[in-house]
Amino acid sequence: MALVEARGLTKVFRRPQKDPGLRGALKHLVQRRFKDFRAVDGIDLSIEAGEAVAYVGPNGAGKSTTIKLLTGILVPTKGTVAVDGHQPHVERIVNARNIGVLFGQRTQLWWDLPVRESLALLRDMYSLSPTFYKQRLERLDDVLGLGELMPVLARKLSLGQRMRADLAAALLHQPKIVYLDEPTIGLDISVKDRVRQFLRELRADGTTLMLTTHDLGDIEDVCERIVIIDEGRKIFDGPLKEMKDQFARVRRMHLQLASSVPLAQVAAVLPETEVAQGDGPHSVTITFDRFTHTAGQIVSAVLQVTEVGELHLDEPAIEDVVRKVYAGELLRESV
Amino acid sequence: MRAYKRLFLISARNVFAYRMSALVSWIGSGAFLIASFAIWKALLGDGSIGGYDWPSMKAYLIISWATMQLGGAGLEWRMADRILWGEVATDLTKPVDYQKARFAEYLGSLTLELIAITIGVSLVAMLTGGFAAPKQPLLFFASMLLVIPLKFMFMYLACMLCFWTSNYMGVAWAKNALIMLFSGGLIPLSLLPTWLATPAAVLPFASVTAAPAIVYLGQAGLEVVVVQAFWVILLWFTARLLWRVALRALTVHGG
Repeated sequence: MALVEARGLTKVFRRPQKDPGLRGALKHLVQRRFKDFRAVDGIDLSIEAGEAVAYVGPNGAGKSTTIKLLTGILVPTKGTVAVDGHQPHVERIVNARNIGVLFGQRTQLWWDLPVRESLALLRDMYSLSPTFYKQRLERLDDVLGLGELMPVLARKLSLGQRMRADLAAALLHQPKIVYLDEPTIGLDISVKDRVRQFLRELRADGTTLMLTTHDLGDIEDVCERIVIIDEGRKIFDGPLKEMKDQFARVRRMHLQLASSVPLAQVAAVLPETEVAQGDGPHSVTITFDRFTHTAGQIVSAVLQVTEVGELHLDEPAIEDVVRKVYAGELLRESV
Repeated sequence: MRAYKRLFLISARNVFAYRMSALVSWIGSGAFLIASFAIWKALLGDGSIGGYDWPSMKAYLIISWATMQLGGAGLEWRMADRILWGEVATDLTKPVDYQKARFAEYLGSLTLELIAITIGVSLVAMLTGGFAAPKQPLLFFASMLLVIPLKFMFMYLACMLCFWTSNYMGVAWAKNALIMLFSGGLIPLSLLPTWLATPAAVLPFASVTAAPAIVYLGQAGLEVVVVQAFWVILLWFTARLLWRVALRALTVHGG
Protein backbone atom coordinates (compact mmCIF):
# COMPACT_ATOMS: atom_id res chain seq x y z
CA MET A 1 0.00 0.00 0.00
CA ALA A 2 1.14 3.49 -0.79
CA LEU A 3 2.34 5.76 1.98
CA VAL A 4 -0.50 8.19 1.37
CA GLU A 5 -3.73 6.71 0.09
CA ALA A 6 -6.92 8.72 -0.47
CA ARG A 7 -10.07 7.26 -1.99
CA GLY A 8 -13.04 9.36 -3.05
CA LEU A 9 -11.93 12.09 -0.68
CA THR A 10 -14.65 14.73 -0.38
CA LYS A 11 -15.08 17.80 1.79
CA VAL A 12 -18.28 19.80 1.72
CA PHE A 13 -18.46 23.16 3.49
CA ARG A 14 -21.73 24.84 4.38
CA ARG A 15 -21.77 28.46 3.37
CA PRO A 16 -24.37 30.87 4.68
CA GLN A 17 -26.46 32.45 1.97
CA LYS A 18 -26.96 36.09 2.83
CA ASP A 19 -28.61 38.75 0.77
CA PRO A 20 -26.61 41.96 0.52
CA GLY A 21 -26.83 44.72 3.10
CA LEU A 22 -28.29 45.00 6.57
CA ARG A 23 -31.63 43.68 5.39
CA GLY A 24 -29.95 40.54 4.13
CA ALA A 25 -28.10 40.11 7.41
CA LEU A 26 -31.31 40.50 9.43
CA LYS A 27 -33.17 38.13 7.17
CA HIS A 28 -30.41 35.57 7.64
CA LEU A 29 -30.92 35.77 11.40
CA VAL A 30 -34.53 34.71 11.08
CA GLN A 31 -34.39 32.48 8.07
CA ARG A 32 -31.07 30.74 7.81
CA ARG A 33 -30.20 29.47 4.40
CA PHE A 34 -27.05 27.59 3.54
CA LYS A 35 -25.52 26.33 0.38
CA ASP A 36 -23.20 23.37 0.18
CA PHE A 37 -19.86 24.00 -1.35
CA ARG A 38 -17.70 21.09 -2.45
CA ALA A 39 -14.13 22.17 -1.85
CA VAL A 40 -12.77 18.71 -2.58
CA ASP A 41 -14.85 16.39 -4.69
CA GLY A 42 -13.95 12.71 -4.87
CA ILE A 43 -10.16 12.88 -5.06
CA ASP A 44 -8.22 9.63 -5.45
CA LEU A 45 -4.57 9.93 -4.70
CA SER A 46 -1.74 7.58 -3.81
CA ILE A 47 1.75 8.70 -3.03
CA GLU A 48 4.57 6.21 -2.67
CA ALA A 49 7.36 6.65 -0.17
CA GLY A 50 10.08 8.89 -1.55
CA GLU A 51 7.93 10.57 -4.17
CA ALA A 52 7.79 14.31 -4.63
CA VAL A 53 4.39 15.44 -5.80
CA ALA A 54 3.41 18.89 -6.93
CA TYR A 55 -0.21 19.67 -6.23
CA VAL A 56 -1.30 22.43 -8.52
CA GLY A 57 -4.47 24.30 -9.32
CA PRO A 58 -5.93 27.79 -9.45
CA ASN A 59 -7.00 29.70 -6.34
CA GLY A 60 -9.89 27.97 -4.62
CA ALA A 61 -9.31 24.69 -6.47
CA GLY A 62 -9.16 22.76 -3.20
CA LYS A 63 -5.40 22.35 -2.78
CA SER A 64 -5.14 23.56 0.80
CA THR A 65 -8.31 21.72 1.78
CA THR A 66 -6.82 18.48 0.46
CA ILE A 67 -3.65 19.07 2.48
CA LYS A 68 -5.77 19.71 5.57
CA LEU A 69 -7.66 16.48 5.00
CA LEU A 70 -4.43 14.53 4.57
CA THR A 71 -2.90 16.04 7.71
CA GLY A 72 -5.93 15.34 9.92
CA ILE A 73 -6.92 18.96 10.44
CA LEU A 74 -10.24 18.58 8.67
CA VAL A 75 -12.64 15.68 8.88
CA PRO A 76 -13.62 14.38 5.43
CA THR A 77 -17.30 14.53 4.53
CA LYS A 78 -16.93 11.36 2.48
CA GLY A 79 -14.16 9.04 1.37
CA THR A 80 -11.16 7.60 3.13
CA VAL A 81 -7.59 8.67 3.83
CA ALA A 82 -4.78 6.55 5.17
CA VAL A 83 -1.31 7.89 5.81
CA ASP A 84 1.16 5.16 6.68
CA GLY A 85 -1.85 3.04 7.60
CA HIS A 86 -3.41 5.61 9.94
CA GLN A 87 -6.54 7.67 9.42
CA PRO A 88 -5.25 11.19 10.06
CA HIS A 89 -8.41 12.70 11.55
CA VAL A 90 -9.04 9.69 13.81
CA GLU A 91 -5.49 9.00 14.89
CA ARG A 92 -4.42 12.60 14.67
CA ILE A 93 -1.64 12.41 17.24
CA VAL A 94 -0.10 9.20 15.84
CA ASN A 95 -0.20 10.67 12.37
CA ALA A 96 1.26 13.97 13.55
CA ARG A 97 4.47 12.21 14.57
CA ASN A 98 5.04 11.07 10.97
CA ILE A 99 4.41 14.33 9.24
CA GLY A 100 5.86 17.79 8.89
CA VAL A 101 3.55 20.55 7.74
CA LEU A 102 4.24 24.07 6.57
CA PHE A 103 1.49 26.51 5.73
CA GLY A 104 3.33 29.26 3.92
CA GLN A 105 0.76 31.86 4.95
CA ARG A 106 0.81 30.94 8.62
CA THR A 107 3.51 30.54 11.18
CA GLN A 108 3.89 28.01 13.93
CA LEU A 109 6.50 30.11 15.73
CA TRP A 110 5.68 31.77 19.03
CA TRP A 111 5.35 35.35 17.95
CA ASP A 112 6.78 37.08 21.00
CA LEU A 113 9.58 34.66 21.79
CA PRO A 114 12.95 33.92 20.18
CA VAL A 115 12.92 31.25 17.46
CA ARG A 116 15.02 29.06 19.77
CA GLU A 117 12.09 28.73 22.18
CA SER A 118 9.70 27.53 19.50
CA LEU A 119 12.19 24.91 18.38
CA ALA A 120 12.81 23.75 21.94
CA LEU A 121 9.06 23.27 22.27
CA LEU A 122 9.01 21.14 19.12
CA ARG A 123 11.98 19.16 20.42
CA ASP A 124 9.92 18.22 23.47
CA MET A 125 6.72 17.65 21.51
CA TYR A 126 8.42 15.07 19.30
CA SER A 127 10.53 13.71 22.20
CA LEU A 128 13.82 14.23 20.37
CA SER A 129 17.01 13.23 22.14
CA PRO A 130 19.56 15.99 22.84
CA THR A 131 22.09 14.48 20.38
CA PHE A 132 19.52 14.12 17.59
CA TYR A 133 18.27 17.63 18.24
CA LYS A 134 21.78 19.02 18.01
CA GLN A 135 22.47 17.14 14.77
CA ARG A 136 19.27 18.39 13.21
CA LEU A 137 19.97 21.97 14.20
CA GLU A 138 23.42 21.75 12.61
CA ARG A 139 21.96 20.30 9.44
CA LEU A 140 19.24 22.94 9.30
CA ASP A 141 21.81 25.62 9.96
CA ASP A 142 23.81 24.43 6.95
CA VAL A 143 20.94 24.59 4.51
CA LEU A 144 18.69 27.28 5.96
CA GLY A 145 21.12 29.44 7.91
CA LEU A 146 19.09 28.76 11.01
CA GLY A 147 21.83 29.72 13.46
CA GLU A 148 21.52 33.45 12.93
CA LEU A 149 17.75 33.30 13.41
CA MET A 150 17.76 31.40 16.71
CA PRO A 151 18.00 34.36 19.12
CA VAL A 152 15.62 36.61 17.16
CA LEU A 153 12.02 37.23 18.25
CA ALA A 154 9.73 35.66 15.67
CA ARG A 155 7.84 38.89 15.12
CA LYS A 156 11.08 40.66 14.18
CA LEU A 157 11.90 38.24 11.35
CA SER A 158 11.56 39.29 7.73
CA LEU A 159 9.22 37.18 5.62
CA GLY A 160 12.13 35.24 4.12
CA GLN A 161 13.69 34.63 7.51
CA ARG A 162 10.33 33.60 8.94
CA MET A 163 9.83 31.08 6.15
CA ARG A 164 13.28 29.62 6.78
CA ALA A 165 12.56 29.33 10.50
CA ASP A 166 9.14 27.83 9.79
CA LEU A 167 10.65 25.29 7.40
CA ALA A 168 13.12 24.32 10.09
CA ALA A 169 10.24 23.98 12.55
CA ALA A 170 8.31 21.73 10.16
CA LEU A 171 11.31 19.50 9.50
CA LEU A 172 13.04 19.39 12.86
CA HIS A 173 11.82 15.90 13.73
CA GLN A 174 12.80 14.50 10.32
CA PRO A 175 9.27 13.54 9.33
CA LYS A 176 8.58 10.75 6.85
CA ILE A 177 6.16 12.90 4.92
CA VAL A 178 6.33 16.62 4.43
CA TYR A 179 3.41 18.71 3.26
CA LEU A 180 4.28 22.18 2.12
CA ASP A 181 1.46 24.56 1.33
CA GLU A 182 2.95 27.36 -0.74
CA PRO A 183 6.43 27.31 0.75
CA THR A 184 7.76 30.11 -1.45
CA ILE A 185 4.84 32.52 -1.29
CA GLY A 186 5.97 36.13 -1.15
CA LEU A 187 9.67 35.32 -1.14
CA ASP A 188 12.29 37.10 -3.22
CA ILE A 189 14.32 35.22 -5.82
CA SER A 190 17.37 34.55 -3.66
CA VAL A 191 15.38 33.16 -0.74
CA LYS A 192 13.27 31.13 -3.18
CA ASP A 193 16.41 29.59 -4.61
CA ARG A 194 17.60 28.75 -1.15
CA VAL A 195 14.29 27.11 -0.24
CA ARG A 196 14.25 25.11 -3.48
CA GLN A 197 17.80 23.99 -2.95
CA PHE A 198 16.72 22.81 0.47
CA LEU A 199 13.73 20.94 -0.95
CA ARG A 200 15.99 19.16 -3.43
CA GLU A 201 18.23 18.03 -0.59
CA LEU A 202 15.20 16.88 1.31
CA ARG A 203 14.23 14.74 -1.65
CA ALA A 204 17.72 13.33 -1.86
CA ASP A 205 17.34 12.24 1.76
CA GLY A 206 14.36 10.14 0.70
CA THR A 207 11.65 12.27 2.28
CA THR A 208 8.22 12.04 0.73
CA LEU A 209 7.10 15.46 -0.34
CA MET A 210 3.80 17.00 -1.30
CA LEU A 211 3.87 20.58 -2.31
CA THR A 212 1.21 23.01 -3.37
CA THR A 213 2.35 26.10 -5.14
CA HIS A 214 1.52 28.80 -7.61
CA ASP A 215 5.16 29.12 -8.52
CA LEU A 216 5.91 26.70 -11.30
CA GLY A 217 9.62 27.10 -10.75
CA ASP A 218 9.14 25.17 -7.51
CA ILE A 219 7.71 22.26 -9.46
CA GLU A 220 10.31 21.97 -12.17
CA ASP A 221 13.06 22.22 -9.62
CA VAL A 222 11.76 19.76 -7.09
CA CYS A 223 9.03 17.41 -8.30
CA GLU A 224 8.79 14.82 -11.01
CA ARG A 225 5.11 14.11 -10.53
CA ILE A 226 2.35 16.63 -10.90
CA VAL A 227 -1.28 16.48 -9.86
CA ILE A 228 -3.53 19.19 -11.21
CA ILE A 229 -6.89 19.86 -9.62
CA ASP A 230 -9.64 22.28 -10.43
CA GLU A 231 -12.97 22.81 -8.69
CA GLY A 232 -12.11 20.04 -6.26
CA ARG A 233 -11.55 17.43 -8.95
CA LYS A 234 -8.38 15.86 -10.17
CA ILE A 235 -7.77 16.59 -13.84
CA PHE A 236 -4.26 15.33 -14.29
CA ASP A 237 -2.00 13.01 -12.35
CA GLY A 238 1.27 11.80 -13.81
CA PRO A 239 4.92 12.50 -14.48
CA LEU A 240 5.78 16.07 -15.31
CA LYS A 241 7.28 14.92 -18.58
CA GLU A 242 4.13 13.08 -19.53
CA MET A 243 2.09 16.16 -18.85
CA LYS A 244 4.25 18.09 -21.25
CA ASP A 245 3.99 15.32 -23.86
CA GLN A 246 0.29 14.97 -23.46
CA PHE A 247 -0.76 18.55 -23.20
CA ALA A 248 2.04 20.70 -24.50
CA ARG A 249 1.80 19.61 -28.10
CA VAL A 250 2.25 22.98 -29.64
CA ARG A 251 5.78 24.16 -30.33
CA ARG A 252 6.86 27.41 -31.80
CA MET A 253 9.86 28.00 -34.08
CA HIS A 254 11.26 31.44 -34.78
CA LEU A 255 13.30 31.74 -37.99
CA GLN A 256 15.45 34.57 -39.29
CA LEU A 257 15.31 34.24 -43.07
CA ALA A 258 18.15 35.28 -45.38
CA SER A 259 15.85 37.18 -47.75
CA SER A 260 12.44 38.69 -47.70
CA VAL A 261 9.97 36.01 -48.73
CA PRO A 262 6.19 36.40 -48.78
CA LEU A 263 4.60 34.52 -45.89
CA ALA A 264 2.23 32.76 -48.24
CA GLN A 265 5.16 31.11 -49.99
CA VAL A 266 6.43 29.66 -46.72
CA ALA A 267 2.94 28.64 -45.69
CA ALA A 268 2.52 26.81 -49.00
CA VAL A 269 5.33 24.36 -48.20
CA LEU A 270 4.10 23.89 -44.66
CA PRO A 271 0.49 22.77 -44.63
CA GLU A 272 -1.09 22.02 -41.21
CA THR A 273 1.05 24.64 -39.53
CA GLU A 274 0.50 28.26 -38.69
CA VAL A 275 2.91 30.72 -40.27
CA ALA A 276 3.04 34.28 -38.98
CA GLN A 277 5.21 37.34 -39.34
CA GLY A 278 7.92 37.35 -36.66
CA ASP A 279 9.38 40.27 -34.74
CA GLY A 280 11.97 41.41 -37.32
CA PRO A 281 11.58 42.22 -41.02
CA HIS A 282 12.81 38.85 -42.32
CA SER A 283 11.58 36.72 -39.46
CA VAL A 284 8.70 34.27 -39.31
CA THR A 285 7.16 32.30 -36.51
CA ILE A 286 5.88 28.84 -37.27
CA THR A 287 3.57 27.11 -34.83
CA PHE A 288 3.27 23.36 -35.22
CA ASP A 289 2.11 20.21 -33.52
CA ARG A 290 5.11 18.24 -32.35
CA PHE A 291 3.34 14.95 -32.94
CA THR A 292 2.81 15.61 -36.63
CA HIS A 293 6.03 17.51 -37.40
CA THR A 294 9.58 17.44 -36.14
CA ALA A 295 11.63 20.60 -35.91
CA GLY A 296 13.89 19.16 -38.64
CA GLN A 297 10.99 18.74 -41.05
CA ILE A 298 10.01 22.35 -40.56
CA VAL A 299 13.52 23.61 -41.23
CA SER A 300 14.03 21.51 -44.34
CA ALA A 301 10.68 22.65 -45.72
CA VAL A 302 11.62 26.28 -45.23
CA LEU A 303 15.01 25.66 -46.85
CA GLN A 304 13.20 24.75 -50.07
CA VAL A 305 12.05 28.35 -50.24
CA THR A 306 14.95 30.34 -48.86
CA GLU A 307 18.12 30.28 -46.79
CA VAL A 308 17.73 30.37 -43.02
CA GLY A 309 19.94 32.58 -40.83
CA GLU A 310 19.11 32.14 -37.18
CA LEU A 311 16.56 29.83 -35.62
CA HIS A 312 15.14 29.44 -32.18
CA LEU A 313 12.69 26.92 -30.76
CA ASP A 314 10.34 27.55 -27.82
CA GLU A 315 10.13 24.51 -25.60
CA PRO A 316 6.78 23.93 -23.95
CA ALA A 317 6.86 25.44 -20.49
CA ILE A 318 4.74 24.11 -17.66
CA GLU A 319 3.52 27.64 -17.22
CA ASP A 320 1.76 27.51 -20.56
CA VAL A 321 0.21 24.15 -19.88
CA VAL A 322 -0.98 25.02 -16.43
CA ARG A 323 -2.26 28.36 -17.61
CA LYS A 324 -4.33 26.52 -20.18
CA VAL A 325 -5.62 24.18 -17.54
CA TYR A 326 -6.65 27.11 -15.38
CA ALA A 327 -8.37 28.70 -18.32
CA GLY A 328 -10.25 25.47 -18.96
CA GLU A 329 -8.65 24.85 -22.31
CA LEU A 330 -7.02 21.59 -21.46
CA LEU A 331 -9.90 19.25 -22.10
CA ARG A 332 -10.58 20.77 -25.47
CA GLU A 333 -7.00 20.41 -26.60
CA SER A 334 -6.58 16.86 -25.44
CA VAL A 335 -9.42 15.47 -27.55
CA MET B 1 4.55 14.85 29.48
CA ARG B 2 7.70 16.59 28.29
CA ALA B 3 5.69 18.46 25.70
CA TYR B 4 3.19 19.76 28.27
CA LYS B 5 5.94 20.79 30.64
CA ARG B 6 7.59 22.77 27.87
CA LEU B 7 4.26 24.35 26.91
CA PHE B 8 3.88 25.41 30.52
CA LEU B 9 7.33 27.00 30.53
CA ILE B 10 7.02 28.68 27.15
CA SER B 11 3.64 30.11 28.09
CA ALA B 12 5.01 31.40 31.41
CA ARG B 13 7.75 33.16 29.46
CA ASN B 14 5.29 34.44 26.89
CA VAL B 15 3.13 36.32 29.39
CA PHE B 16 6.11 38.49 30.25
CA ALA B 17 6.02 39.80 26.70
CA TYR B 18 2.74 41.45 27.69
CA ARG B 19 3.80 42.75 31.10
CA MET B 20 2.95 46.34 30.23
CA SER B 21 -0.62 45.61 29.19
CA ALA B 22 -0.93 43.33 32.21
CA LEU B 23 0.20 46.17 34.46
CA VAL B 24 -2.45 48.46 33.03
CA SER B 25 -5.19 45.89 33.56
CA TRP B 26 -4.09 45.38 37.17
CA ILE B 27 -4.38 49.08 37.81
CA GLY B 28 -7.94 48.77 36.54
CA SER B 29 -8.77 45.76 38.65
CA GLY B 30 -7.12 47.42 41.65
CA ALA B 31 -9.51 50.32 41.22
CA PHE B 32 -12.40 47.88 41.13
CA LEU B 33 -11.17 46.32 44.36
CA ILE B 34 -10.93 49.69 46.09
CA ALA B 35 -14.40 50.63 44.86
CA SER B 36 -16.01 47.43 46.15
CA PHE B 37 -14.34 47.87 49.53
CA ALA B 38 -15.59 51.46 49.74
CA ILE B 39 -19.14 50.54 48.74
CA TRP B 40 -19.50 47.65 51.20
CA LYS B 41 -17.89 49.60 54.01
CA ALA B 42 -20.47 52.33 53.49
CA LEU B 43 -23.35 49.84 53.25
CA LEU B 44 -22.38 47.78 56.26
CA GLY B 45 -21.12 50.40 58.68
CA ASP B 46 -20.98 48.58 62.00
CA GLY B 47 -23.96 46.37 61.26
CA SER B 48 -24.39 43.40 58.95
CA ILE B 49 -26.34 42.48 55.80
CA GLY B 50 -27.47 38.93 55.09
CA GLY B 51 -25.15 37.51 57.69
CA TYR B 52 -22.08 39.44 56.52
CA ASP B 53 -20.45 41.91 58.90
CA TRP B 54 -17.45 43.99 57.85
CA PRO B 55 -14.65 41.50 58.72
CA SER B 56 -16.37 38.63 56.90
CA MET B 57 -17.31 40.86 53.96
CA LYS B 58 -13.70 41.98 53.69
CA ALA B 59 -12.58 38.37 53.38
CA TYR B 60 -15.37 37.68 50.90
CA LEU B 61 -14.39 40.63 48.72
CA ILE B 62 -10.71 39.78 48.58
CA ILE B 63 -11.44 36.14 47.72
CA SER B 64 -13.90 37.22 45.07
CA TRP B 65 -11.33 39.62 43.61
CA ALA B 66 -8.59 37.00 43.59
CA THR B 67 -10.74 34.38 41.88
CA MET B 68 -11.84 36.92 39.27
CA GLN B 69 -8.22 37.76 38.50
CA LEU B 70 -7.32 34.15 37.80
CA GLY B 71 -8.08 33.18 34.26
CA GLY B 72 -5.16 33.50 31.89
CA ALA B 73 -6.50 36.60 30.23
CA GLY B 74 -3.71 36.65 27.66
CA LEU B 75 -4.21 33.02 26.78
CA GLU B 76 -7.95 33.40 26.36
CA TRP B 77 -7.66 35.79 23.42
CA ARG B 78 -4.74 33.92 21.98
CA MET B 79 -6.77 30.73 21.82
CA ALA B 80 -9.86 32.46 20.47
CA ASP B 81 -7.89 34.26 17.77
CA ARG B 82 -6.10 31.13 16.70
CA ILE B 83 -9.45 29.44 16.12
CA LEU B 84 -10.99 32.46 14.41
CA TRP B 85 -8.03 33.05 12.11
CA GLY B 86 -7.38 29.42 11.35
CA GLU B 87 -4.01 29.26 13.13
CA VAL B 88 -5.53 26.33 14.97
CA ALA B 89 -4.65 24.34 11.85
CA THR B 90 -0.99 24.36 12.82
CA ASP B 91 -1.85 23.34 16.39
CA LEU B 92 -3.66 20.33 14.97
CA THR B 93 -0.59 19.09 13.15
CA LYS B 94 1.25 18.62 16.46
CA PRO B 95 1.39 15.32 18.35
CA VAL B 96 -0.21 16.68 21.51
CA ASP B 97 -3.71 16.60 22.89
CA TYR B 98 -5.27 19.97 22.17
CA GLN B 99 -7.11 20.36 25.46
CA LYS B 100 -4.20 19.25 27.63
CA ALA B 101 -1.85 21.47 25.67
CA ARG B 102 -4.07 24.52 26.27
CA PHE B 103 -4.36 23.61 29.94
CA ALA B 104 -0.56 23.47 30.23
CA GLU B 105 -0.33 26.88 28.57
CA TYR B 106 -3.02 28.19 30.88
CA LEU B 107 -1.15 27.02 33.97
CA GLY B 108 1.98 28.67 32.64
CA SER B 109 0.19 31.93 32.05
CA LEU B 110 -0.91 32.02 35.70
CA THR B 111 2.60 32.88 36.95
CA LEU B 112 2.21 36.58 36.43
CA GLU B 113 -1.35 36.59 37.76
CA LEU B 114 -0.40 34.74 40.92
CA ILE B 115 2.28 37.34 41.60
CA ALA B 116 -0.23 40.13 41.06
CA ILE B 117 -2.80 38.46 43.31
CA THR B 118 -0.23 37.94 46.07
CA ILE B 119 0.74 41.61 45.91
CA GLY B 120 -2.91 42.71 45.84
CA VAL B 121 -3.93 40.55 48.78
CA SER B 122 -0.88 41.60 50.86
CA LEU B 123 -1.52 45.26 50.17
CA VAL B 124 -5.16 45.00 51.19
CA ALA B 125 -4.24 43.02 54.31
CA MET B 126 -1.74 45.70 55.29
CA LEU B 127 -4.05 48.62 54.63
CA THR B 128 -7.21 47.22 56.21
CA GLY B 129 -5.77 45.56 59.26
CA GLY B 130 -5.46 41.97 58.07
CA PHE B 131 -7.87 39.07 57.69
CA ALA B 132 -9.06 36.44 60.08
CA ALA B 133 -7.45 33.08 59.39
CA PRO B 134 -9.60 30.71 57.28
CA LYS B 135 -11.93 28.60 59.41
CA GLN B 136 -10.95 25.44 57.48
CA PRO B 137 -7.45 26.07 56.08
CA LEU B 138 -6.95 22.79 54.24
CA LEU B 139 -10.40 22.75 52.69
CA PHE B 140 -10.01 26.39 51.71
CA PHE B 141 -6.71 25.61 50.01
CA ALA B 142 -8.27 22.69 48.10
CA SER B 143 -11.18 24.88 47.12
CA MET B 144 -8.89 27.63 45.80
CA LEU B 145 -6.86 25.06 43.87
CA LEU B 146 -10.01 23.78 42.16
CA VAL B 147 -10.84 27.30 41.03
CA ILE B 148 -7.83 27.10 38.69
CA PRO B 149 -9.10 24.25 36.44
CA LEU B 150 -12.66 25.59 36.71
CA LYS B 151 -11.74 28.97 35.31
CA PHE B 152 -9.83 27.16 32.60
CA MET B 153 -12.89 25.16 31.63
CA PHE B 154 -15.08 28.26 31.35
CA MET B 155 -12.48 29.97 29.20
CA TYR B 156 -11.83 26.90 27.10
CA LEU B 157 -15.51 26.19 26.45
CA ALA B 158 -16.15 29.84 25.58
CA CYS B 159 -13.21 29.90 23.17
CA MET B 160 -14.48 26.78 21.51
CA LEU B 161 -17.62 28.64 20.50
CA CYS B 162 -15.33 30.45 18.06
CA PHE B 163 -15.63 27.42 15.82
CA TRP B 164 -19.18 28.65 15.16
CA THR B 165 -19.02 32.39 15.67
CA SER B 166 -16.89 34.82 13.73
CA ASN B 167 -16.00 37.01 16.69
CA TYR B 168 -15.02 36.36 20.28
CA MET B 169 -15.93 39.72 21.82
CA GLY B 170 -19.58 38.91 22.40
CA VAL B 171 -18.86 35.45 23.73
CA ALA B 172 -16.26 36.83 26.15
CA TRP B 173 -18.65 39.48 27.46
CA ALA B 174 -21.46 37.02 27.91
CA LYS B 175 -19.17 34.56 29.67
CA ASN B 176 -17.76 37.23 31.98
CA ALA B 177 -21.20 38.58 32.82
CA LEU B 178 -22.52 35.10 33.61
CA ILE B 179 -19.55 34.36 35.83
CA MET B 180 -19.76 37.74 37.54
CA LEU B 181 -23.42 37.37 38.39
CA PHE B 182 -23.78 33.67 39.14
CA SER B 183 -20.45 33.06 40.84
CA GLY B 184 -21.10 35.55 43.62
CA GLY B 185 -18.40 37.82 42.25
CA LEU B 186 -20.76 40.78 42.12
CA ILE B 187 -22.52 40.23 45.46
CA PRO B 188 -22.72 37.17 47.71
CA LEU B 189 -25.21 34.66 46.34
CA SER B 190 -27.16 34.65 49.60
CA LEU B 191 -28.09 38.27 48.89
CA LEU B 192 -29.56 37.50 45.46
CA PRO B 193 -33.36 37.36 45.05
CA THR B 194 -34.72 33.82 44.80
CA TRP B 195 -35.29 33.94 41.04
CA LEU B 196 -31.55 34.57 40.59
CA ALA B 197 -30.35 32.50 43.53
CA THR B 198 -32.04 29.34 42.23
CA PRO B 199 -30.22 29.22 38.88
CA ALA B 200 -27.01 30.26 40.65
CA ALA B 201 -27.31 27.24 42.90
CA VAL B 202 -27.49 24.77 40.03
CA LEU B 203 -25.02 26.43 37.66
CA PRO B 204 -21.29 25.68 37.86
CA PHE B 205 -20.28 29.32 38.29
CA ALA B 206 -20.81 29.39 42.06
CA SER B 207 -17.90 27.00 42.37
CA VAL B 208 -15.53 29.73 41.22
CA THR B 209 -16.08 32.42 43.85
CA ALA B 210 -18.84 31.59 46.31
CA ALA B 211 -17.42 28.15 47.05
CA PRO B 212 -13.96 29.16 48.33
CA ALA B 213 -15.45 32.20 50.08
CA ILE B 214 -18.00 30.26 52.11
CA VAL B 215 -15.43 27.58 52.89
CA TYR B 216 -13.12 30.31 54.15
CA LEU B 217 -15.87 31.77 56.31
CA GLY B 218 -16.85 28.34 57.60
CA GLN B 219 -20.40 28.58 56.21
CA ALA B 220 -19.93 25.31 54.33
CA GLY B 221 -17.51 22.44 54.29
CA LEU B 222 -16.37 19.44 52.28
CA GLU B 223 -19.62 19.14 50.29
CA VAL B 224 -18.85 22.38 48.46
CA VAL B 225 -15.37 21.20 47.50
CA VAL B 226 -16.82 17.91 46.23
CA VAL B 227 -19.24 19.86 44.03
CA GLN B 228 -16.34 21.90 42.70
CA ALA B 229 -14.42 18.74 41.81
CA PHE B 230 -17.55 17.32 40.19
CA TRP B 231 -17.83 20.37 37.95
CA VAL B 232 -14.17 20.21 36.95
CA ILE B 233 -14.55 16.60 35.85
CA LEU B 234 -17.89 17.09 34.15
CA LEU B 235 -16.78 20.19 32.24
CA TRP B 236 -13.48 18.57 31.24
CA PHE B 237 -15.29 15.71 29.54
CA THR B 238 -18.02 17.92 28.14
CA ALA B 239 -15.29 19.96 26.49
CA ARG B 240 -13.87 16.81 24.97
CA LEU B 241 -17.23 15.96 23.42
CA LEU B 242 -17.71 19.49 22.18
CA TRP B 243 -14.25 19.42 20.66
CA ARG B 244 -15.20 16.45 18.49
CA VAL B 245 -18.24 18.27 17.22
CA ALA B 246 -16.21 21.44 16.71
CA LEU B 247 -13.66 19.69 14.50
CA ARG B 248 -16.45 18.69 12.16
CA ALA B 249 -17.53 22.31 12.00
CA LEU B 250 -13.99 23.55 11.44
CA THR B 251 -13.46 25.43 8.24
CA VAL B 252 -10.07 26.87 7.57
CA HIS B 253 -10.07 28.68 4.29
CA GLY B 254 -6.99 29.62 2.36
CA GLY B 255 -3.34 29.02 3.26
